[in-house]
Amino acid sequence: MSEISPEVPDNRQDAPSHVDPNSTRITKPGVKRLVLTLSVLFSLVLGFPFLWKSVEIYRSSLPFGEISEMESNPSLSFPCRFQAVFINFNSNPSPNHLQLSILDKITELTSNSSQCGACANDLALSVTVDSISSCTQTHPTDNSNYYRCGAISAVDFDFSNDDDDGVDELLESVLGVKNVYSVVVVNGGGEGIRAVVGKYRHAWIVGSVEEEEEESVLVSRVAEIFVKMFVNGGTENGLIHGEFMPVGADRRIVLSFNLLNAEPNDWVYDWDFQRVDETLLAPIIKVLGPIANISVESQVLYHTPKSSFSYWDEKWKSYIFSTKDLPFFVNSNEWHLDTSIAAGGRSKILQFVVYVPSAKECPLSLLLPTGEISKTNGFISPMWGGVVVWNPPGCLNSETNHPSRHTMSREDLQAVFEVFMGQFRQLFGLKSNNLYIGASGTYHLLPSGKGFTEWELDVLSRQFACFNLHSCATTLGSLSRLVQSLPRMIIMDEIGKLVQFSLEAAKLAQSNASLGDNESSAGQARSLAEDAFFHPSIMSISYYSFEHCFAIYSPFFLPVSMHVLLAALREWKRYKQEKAKYTAWKAKVKVES
Amino acid sequence: MMVRYKMHNSFGFKSLAAMLLLLILSSSTSYRASAETTMHTNNWAVLVCTSRFWFNYRHMANTLSLYRTVKRLGIPDERIILMLADDMACNARNKYPAQVFNNENHKLNLYGDNVEVDYRGYEVTVENFLRVLTGRHEAAVPRSKRLLSDEGSHILLYMTGHGGDEFLKFQDSEELQSHDLADAVKQMKEKHRFKELLIMVDTCQAATLFSQLHSLGVLAIGSSMKGENSYSHHLDSDVGVSVVDRFTFYTLAFFEKLNMYDNASLSSLFTSYNPTLLMSTAYYRTDLYQRKLEEVPVTNFFGSVMETIHTDSAYRTTFSRKTSETIMPLQQSVEHDESRQLINSNVQDQTSDTKIEDKQCPFTRRWNAFQDKLEKIERIDSLVNYGLIIMFPLLLISTWLSR
Repeated sequence: MSEISPEVPDNRQDAPSHVDPNSTRITKPGVKRLVLTLSVLFSLVLGFPFLWKSVEIYRSSLPFGEISEMESNPSLSFPCRFQAVFINFNSNPSPNHLQLSILDKITELTSNSSQCGACANDLALSVTVDSISSCTQTHPTDNSNYYRCGAISAVDFDFSNDDDDGVDELLESVLGVKNVYSVVVVNGGGEGIRAVVGKYRHAWIVGSVEEEEEESVLVSRVAEIFVKMFVNGGTENGLIHGEFMPVGADRRIVLSFNLLNAEPNDWVYDWDFQRVDETLLAPIIKVLGPIANISVESQVLYHTPKSSFSYWDEKWKSYIFSTKDLPFFVNSNEWHLDTSIAAGGRSKILQFVVYVPSAKECPLSLLLPTGEISKTNGFISPMWGGVVVWNPPGCLNSETNHPSRHTMSREDLQAVFEVFMGQFRQLFGLKSNNLYIGASGTYHLLPSGKGFTEWELDVLSRQFACFNLHSCATTLGSLSRLVQSLPRMIIMDEIGKLVQFSLEAAKLAQSNASLGDNESSAGQARSLAEDAFFHPSIMSISYYSFEHCFAIYSPFFLPVSMHVLLAALREWKRYKQEKAKYTAWKAKVKVES
Repeated sequence: MMVRYKMHNSFGFKSLAAMLLLLILSSSTSYRASAETTMHTNNWAVLVCTSRFWFNYRHMANTLSLYRTVKRLGIPDERIILMLADDMACNARNKYPAQVFNNENHKLNLYGDNVEVDYRGYEVTVENFLRVLTGRHEAAVPRSKRLLSDEGSHILLYMTGHGGDEFLKFQDSEELQSHDLADAVKQMKEKHRFKELLIMVDTCQAATLFSQLHSLGVLAIGSSMKGENSYSHHLDSDVGVSVVDRFTFYTLAFFEKLNMYDNASLSSLFTSYNPTLLMSTAYYRTDLYQRKLEEVPVTNFFGSVMETIHTDSAYRTTFSRKTSETIMPLQQSVEHDESRQLINSNVQDQTSDTKIEDKQCPFTRRWNAFQDKLEKIERIDSLVNYGLIIMFPLLLISTWLSR
């Protein structure tokens, strides 16, 4: 129902006739319209902050401070616990004196390398001198894990024959403790000094030493075993770079074994891979479990010639290819090796190839630059894998014109897989032979049936932990820099959570390492960090630019707000006018009355 | 890290300048040190043709010619990412079906043997291209579609199509801006996805596409400068369209003379471009690349190099003596195998899922339980229908009450 303003005839009749409606009015101007428009405007203005908040870009908050702190100090410090036992030294050297000289030598050897995993901070050495008459020890802080006097005597070392394995087992039963590395020095036996590093965490040196000055020789050999073997793993340089870390970002490695028949028209070879997998590969895979998750595939390929050339050499009675041809040996056009279905996008694949040459090039041998023929006929390419050339037996004298199918004999397969084992160790940065030639002398390294000895596994897991932590820190740093440089990019909750878990795992790895505990937190930290960095939602072209936001919301709000604003202004102006008219009339009335 | 030189009007200007200079020197030397320590492990090639439709035949021929060259010099398919619209060979307008030529003499069929296209047709988008470069794929993308380079890889990135000032047109519907490309390269560098990168662009105003690059270790060459067009080489009157572009034609002419064992240098390649023949100026930038071009062989990017190390000896263990005596019983070994396989299949699960579940707050847990319950209701459609039907009487009642 609309309201009609009541007539006011009295005022009209009483008022003088010269009232000008354009400049005066008699009644007070109404405020309803003004109130209405102002309230609509006010509610629009009030709602604006809510709109702004609702179109805000969702960015999960990342802990930038913690990330930069981790990036500046991604180091792990491992404790080193050593002990040296001297047996049957009748001259009775003082253990404290020996301890000091060994420690001096150790610090001298470690001074020029500041790699992750070195024993710079936390080093403890205990020395025991045990002879028939007496036994003296330096006093380490905790006695429980160290050598008890009289546990080993010189008669245990049978000097006539070199039964290294027996000695190794015996020492393991006496000394076998986790995290403590031991060297046993025995005085006795034949001429010269013989040093052997066992399969577990100890080594022994046997020699006949009577004079005092030879003591310093022993001291330097003991220190060299500690530093070069047990800390560095028998390699020369620190390996924080990714060069010898063939593990994928998701901690998986796929080993792909391929048997290549270059010319099936001559002969076709097959192999019993299942048996090899069960007997030879299974223990190695189990032992490397803490470091990486390994899976194995195999295939047999045909018509796979190599792409380099070889020539007949009369002296060696075989076809020769040299080390200069090695980079061109792998014929990637014909060798379809990367057909793995088990490998995910971020696993690492290592290819192991057995190449069976054709009749035109058989036997095929590798000539080394020194002029000798290689004993293994194999080579590796770091981060790719290894190749072994296997010549079928009796191929020089064979006159087969028809293709014949054979299976590789068990002994041949065994020999080939021993070369593969050596190559696998080389891919991890360890040496494939059993001799280490150091500054003070040569050391025999006992090989283990599982492919890696326990001290080598310790070295590997320390190096991997260092590398993983370093990689995690740099990845998180790159992610934080990227996120900060694109302020309008959406960051999902999942990324924030991954970063948080990764930082927690990294801190756990750091604290566990200083306690001497070696587990896989660093690997987890790295894979979580990589998941965060490579999250598919971080695409720089899809960030929400301001023009985009404006273009979406302006058709809704711009016309409406324009109308409301104009209406409010118009009402305000009208109210002011009418108010002015009313006050003018009132003033006139006042003047008149 | 780029250190930008800022003008300061305060005192101590000289000391600030000296400090900045020291910073620049130290950062460059530290980079040099780290770059030298990584070893060159493999070569990758990313070849992108950004055009489709019949009249852009020459762009596809360009890309396929370079693919063939790079394969011939040794880079295998598993290290080549080929992105093509791939609509020429079987096009209804192609007089020679299933054949693509880059010369009017038709001597070479580029589509002949063993062409593996990784992204074809409508998969060639700016988003996929940037995903390939930065490595941010969904989990299900297969390995053959990913750029699996590591910190020792040298990557060749070749792009051809229609371009302009600071952009490259993708399939007539999108653009790749030069700052997007520079951004992607910066992220690749941060994540150590390459040791050296060579960018070759064959479009109009090609040099503008890499004008915004800042990452070290990148070498770039474009077929023309800003304001210039790049032209096609010749028209094949039989096929009916131009079959190759000038820049790519002269590049291929250079490579046809090479084989795998040669070591011509990059500077000989770059200086072999004659502006009169190209009808444009081939511009290259070397300010981000530390090595001298005369010392770098072309096989650094175009060929395949494998670092090889000879294996000295086999790893013989006493175990080898024992295998001839005993063979593990088959049952036991089969079980062991199965257990290994079983473990493997479980590991495929994402670790992140289990982590996130442990750390939920009570509200989220209840909500998730509610959602699980909802999912278990089978006839949920009928439930929704009932709800809608009940709305009508409710509406009637409320209007009657408000009279």
